[in-house]
Parts: sequence; C-alpha cells; structure tokens
Amino acid sequence: MIRLQDVAKVYDGGTVAVRDVNLEIAKGEFVFLVGPSGSGKSTLIRLMLRQELPTEGSIWVAGKEITSLPGWKVPLLRRSIGTVFQDFKLLPTKTVHENVAFALEVIGRPKHVIRGQVPQVLKLVGLAAKADRLPNQLSGGEQQRVSIARAFVNRPLILLADEPTGNLDPATSIGIMRLLDRINRTGTTVVMATHDHAIVDAMRRRVVALERGRVVRDQSRGAYDQSAQLSDEFEATEG
Amino acid sequence: MRFQYLLEQALGNLRRNVLVVFAAVVAVLVMLTLVFGTIVVRWSIDQDIGRWDENVRVIAFLTDDLSLDDVTALQSEIQGWDEVEDVVYFSKSEALQEFHELFADQQSLIDVVDADPSILPASLRIAPKEAAEYSTITDRLVVIPGVQKVSAADEAIDALVARSSRLRTFAYWIVIVLGAAAVVLIANTIRIAIFARRDEIGIMKLVGAGNWFVRIPFLLEGVMEGLVGAILAVALVWAVAPSIAELFSTSATVGSLDVPGDFLFKQALLVLGFGAGTGLLGSSFGMWGFLRD
Repeated sequence: MIRLQDVAKVYDGGTVAVRDVNLEIAKGEFVFLVGPSGSGKSTLIRLMLRQELPTEGSIWVAGKEITSLPGWKVPLLRRSIGTVFQDFKLLPTKTVHENVAFALEVIGRPKHVIRGQVPQVLKLVGLAAKADRLPNQLSGGEQQRVSIARAFVNRPLILLADEPTGNLDPATSIGIMRLLDRINRTGTTVVMATHDHAIVDAMRRRVVALERGRVVRDQSRGAYDQSAQLSDEFEATEG
Repeated sequence: MRFQYLLEQALGNLRRNVLVVFAAVVAVLVMLTLVFGTIVVRWSIDQDIGRWDENVRVIAFLTDDLSLDDVTALQSEIQGWDEVEDVVYFSKSEALQEFHELFADQQSLIDVVDADPSILPASLRIAPKEAAEYSTITDRLVVIPGVQKVSAADEAIDALVARSSRLRTFAYWIVIVLGAAAVVLIANTIRIAIFARRDEIGIMKLVGAGNWFVRIPFLLEGVMEGLVGAILAVALVWAVAPSIAELFSTSATVGSLDVPGDFLFKQALLVLGFGAGTGLLGSSFGMWGFLRD
C-alpha cells in the first residue's frame, strides 16, 4: 500500500530530515512511527501526502509512484488518503456536520451522497447527537473525533495520523485509539506518528522507530522504548 | 450546484473585505471612466473629421492650355493614386455656375466674373480616402505641369487629426498607469481573501479538492471586482455622453450630436470585457505563488 525506497529529505539550508528510509507498509496494516521530536516522523507523513517531495528516492502510495505525479493529479492521490492532526484543523464557523460534509463538497460529491454518508460516519465516531454543535462547543476528544470522521467519510484506503492524541489526556486518547483501531479493522491502512509511550505499548502493533532521520527499528507487535527492543533481541539471540 | 458553490465562495470573499474591495473597484471605475470618456470624445472629433471627409476636395486648379484629352488623362492618372477616393472634373462653366450660387448676394462680384468668365479656372476636385491624406495628395499635385494651384482645407484637418491622436495616446497612458494600479489593488484583495481563508484552503487541499476548485472562487472574485468597476464606468459615461460630445465637437452648433446607441453599446461591451480582463489579471497576480499543490 505504501512503499518508500532510499528516501531522503534535505530541507533548504541543509537540515537533513530523513535519510536512507526504506519502508514497506502492507494493506490493512497499523503502523506506529515513533521517535523523539525532530526525528523525522512528520516529514515522513508529509512525504506520503506529497506535501513535500523527497530529495532522493521513490515513494509509492496506493500503487502509484507519487514523486513524479503531475501537480493536477495530486488531489486525486489525496482523496485516497485521510489525514488527522494534533490540532484537529476544524473550521470554527462550521458545525460538526458541516465540517465533515465540507470534505465531500469540495471534491464534488453530490448532495444526496453527502446527506447519506455524513450521519453514518458521525454515528461511527459517536457524535450523531452533536451534529449541529460548533467545534468550540466540544471537548478536545470530541473535536478529534470530528476530524477523524472527516478523514474517514470518503472511505480512504489509507489514514495518516500525525500525533492525533498529542493534545488529549490519556483517558480520552484511549477512546481515540479505539476509534482508529476500529477504522483499521475495516481494512484501512493506518499510519500514526506519535510519541505517546502508553498507547504504543498498549496496542502492540508494528513499530517503526526513527532517530535523527533514520529508521533504527522496525518491529511487528513492538513497544515504544528500547527495553522492549532489547528483550526482543534477547529472545532472538536465545532462539 | 457546483458553480453555485464557487460563486457563493467568491461573493463571500467580497463581503468579507468590503473596504479593500471598494478601493479596487474604484480604481477600475476611474480608469475605465477615463478610457470610455476618451472614446466618446474621440468619436465626436472623428465625426468632425468625417464631415471633412465627405466635403473636402483637394482642389487642383488647371491652367487654361490643357485640352480636354489632357484633362481626361490627368484625371485618370490621379484616380489611380492609392490615397485618392474619387476625382471629379469641374469645368469652367460649372465653376461659373458655382460662383453664382456662392456669391448670389454679392452682385458686384458676379458682375466682374460675368464680364470675363474665363478668369475662373477649370479644376479637378479630389476626395482623399482619408482626410489625413490630403497633404500627400497636395504634394504630388503641385509638381504636375498643367496644375496652376492646389488648395485644401488643411490646417483645420491637421488640428483635428492631431487632437484625435493625442487623445489616443492619453487613453493608452491611462490604461498603462491606472490599469497597473487597478491590477495591483485587485491582486491585493485576492491576497487578503486567500489569507483570510488559509485554514479552509489547507483543509480543502488535504481532502483532495481539485486545484481549480480552490482557485476559481478567487478568480471569480477578481473578475467581479473588475466587472463592477466597468459597469459603473459604462453607466456614468453613457449618462453624460451627449454632453461630452457637445463639449468637444467643433460643429456642435450645427446640429445636436447624438452619440449613436449602437456605437456606445459596442464600445461599452469592450470596456466591460476590459474590466473583466483587468480583474482576471489582478487575481492571477494575487494568486501567484499561492494555491499551488
């Protein structure tokens, strides 16, 4: 579903954001990108969205090599990807329903489709009763649910989440993770950048750890910190 | 429904920034009022030149020693010149008859001429294709043997032609200077609108809105600003067009100068198109470097 080959990104001014990244993510996988701030997690997400072009290497998303994609085809790529961010990115003057409907309106979906799909996805995220509220009348967790609803309403193949729980307390974060897990179970590939230890350790999914722009660990059913990695290595040497 | 959506976005942008939009519209209004006004002024001057066009004959007075064959040969030679529309031969007797008509109230003059009709020379009366070409014709005529004198109503035409071309230059400068100002002001309103909606645009791009779907409302906004300015300019000039014509036409005393409606209409369409074009250019500049993927 997603493949990065020898990818490097050097920003103007010489800052190396990522280098030598080789990564393959299969359809339906749930992958955590972990690592300290500045390790390149967000850059990888931006590269997959083609908000950035890599300095070197190739990136395939949903079967297409996206670094050579002409500009006018980029919107089509993005329609197959849902995105969720730490800061929710909701429009403050639109209601919950309108925020979600907006994502369908601007890609030209007909009104009757919008009328059908929006309530359905709001029910999925548990906000059917708050469809007419404005974002500032909701809690942080609820706002993030709206943004997930917006990302998922178009049934994308891939959901990219950049620190989706970064602004939320642990209890609320668990709710968000349950929701992302549920979306993953529908067959959607989920890639989530985070530095939330508790979540990664609790979920036990594939973990790709980054450090100063390099992949330093890629583990299925991994945990956040090194100790887990050490114990895995220990098991490996033992076995 | 999709177009309606785009239009609503554009109208929303306009409403949000009333003040800067107002400045942009006024710039277009001033520019196009001056341009359209100049068009009408030039029309009235060209009417005067046109009057000359119909009436003016460069008159080549012929010497008496030319035979009728010589005259016919000369006439057809001149008729062959590029700048000549028509050549008419005016015989001595026709000249005498005309003299009688022109000076009917001055019997003493008529008496003189009647005493010796041969003092009025025969002539070729030449209509230039364009009034401005009379001088070329004059220059060619004076060197022809058998032509004793050439006369034309030159200075009057010269002055009108010069005035007309000065006005054209004036209009060009207005378009360049005020047009640039209008484009910059419109570009500014577009920048502000983009800035005001940057979050929305960011989300639109994230969820895969087409590039043109994002751009069109801003283009429409610029076009509307240009068009509104143009409409106001057209209305203003149309209302005062008769007064302008009266003020600038030298022959206004002869009769009322009604600027014809279909002329105004055609020019107004041009002005409207020009306004819309200015708006489109302004919004394109405003989006320059923004709204890429």
